[in-house]
Amino acid sequence: MLSPYGLDIIESCLTCKARSDRMFCDLQPSALQAFEAIKYATAYPKGAVLFVEGQAPRGIFVLCKGRVKLSICATDGKTLIVRIAEPGEVLGLSATVSGKPYELTAETLDPCQVNFAKRDDFLRFLREHSDACFKVAEQLSEKYNTACHEVRSLGLSHSAGEKLARLLLEWTSRNGEANRQEPRVKLALTHEEIAQMIGTSRETVTRLIGDLKRREIVQTKGSTLIIRNKSALKVMASSN
Amino acid sequence: MSSAIQRGFLPSPEPGRQLFSDLPPEAAKDFDQIKSLASFPRGTVLFREGEWAGRVMVLCRGRVKLSVCSESGQRLTLHVAGPGEVLGLSAALTRSAHEMTAEVLDNAQVAMVERADLLPFLRDHRQVCLQAAKLLSQDLHQAYERVRTVGLMRTRRPRVHTH
Repeated sequence: MLSPYGLDIIESCLTCKARSDRMFCDLQPSALQAFEAIKYATAYPKGAVLFVEGQAPRGIFVLCKGRVKLSICATDGKTLIVRIAEPGEVLGLSATVSGKPYELTAETLDPCQVNFAKRDDFLRFLREHSDACFKVAEQLSEKYNTACHEVRSLGLSHSAGEKLARLLLEWTSRNGEANRQEPRVKLALTHEEIAQMIGTSRETVTRLIGDLKRREIVQTKGSTLIIRNKSALKVMASSN
Repeated sequence: MSSAIQRGFLPSPEPGRQLFSDLPPEAAKDFDQIKSLASFPRGTVLFREGEWAGRVMVLCRGRVKLSVCSESGQRLTLHVAGPGEVLGLSAALTRSAHEMTAEVLDNAQVAMVERADLLPFLRDHRQVCLQAAKLLSQDLHQAYERVRTVGLMRTRRPRVHTH
């Protein structure tokens, strides 16, 4: 079934082909059936806001398709993108479990399919299914490890150049390109969004990328960025 | 204190942060079987960033500083853990390396549980597993607050005075 946003909606978790590759979704059959009974499958267009930082938690959003930008906002309006969520991730999980407000704002970067479960239903589901509870603990642990990594990266990097170099290298690790002589990264974010990920301005990111190209450390071909000189980028990532 | 710890009673941290203190009787009995106790003097590094997480530690007495470090050796403190707090839980659950270094600030007593024993224990005791999820949620909440403060801090460059 196609949605208005061109998505091929996955109607049932029980028949989802991607389930076994996703930490939370790979549940035992009884737990999966129970989750099926409490979830609402919804499609969102690009730019939709699933929840806002500070909002009381309504429930969790399992991202089935598409990508979601997770960000934090300062009182002066400055935004920091914490992470880009990929399919399989459960959004709003820590707020739903703890009862505290959502810590981040979640905005879709692409048309997305999301399975939403209300907070009370989800907590009851966790109390009744230890397998699901364990997977939730695992996923929260992963998010915590990533957040600590983010704190290190933001708090201990001295310059925007260092943070940008770290980010590019991190992307090559995530997409499996890290071991290649000349790793490639698909630049799916604008310079403004990259700036928001590393806590700097769009102008600085544009200047830095231009500088990397001039020094032939990177090269761009359309929306693909090729790292020509991995060693030089690594030196930049660890410089004082 | 030692005999209380032997019986499975661990100090309670601030409300909402307990995991292995106040366990139901059956879980407390199973926990007693899998934990071991050790003391560490001030300055001991319980685990380092990048080390594989082989065990989880419950701080019974003392304080432990949790920090991250850059390649140049600059350190950023994330949190100072107090009695009752669980250390290394997220790394143990994800079977990955520790994301931070834990250093004893005061002489500490610690209850240790090997990861190989912890994971089945959590699977067998659903309430404890749910409490672990709640604890991790709170840790994550604190970590995001830290991301907010370090990431959204304005950096000020020193002014150059030309006279």
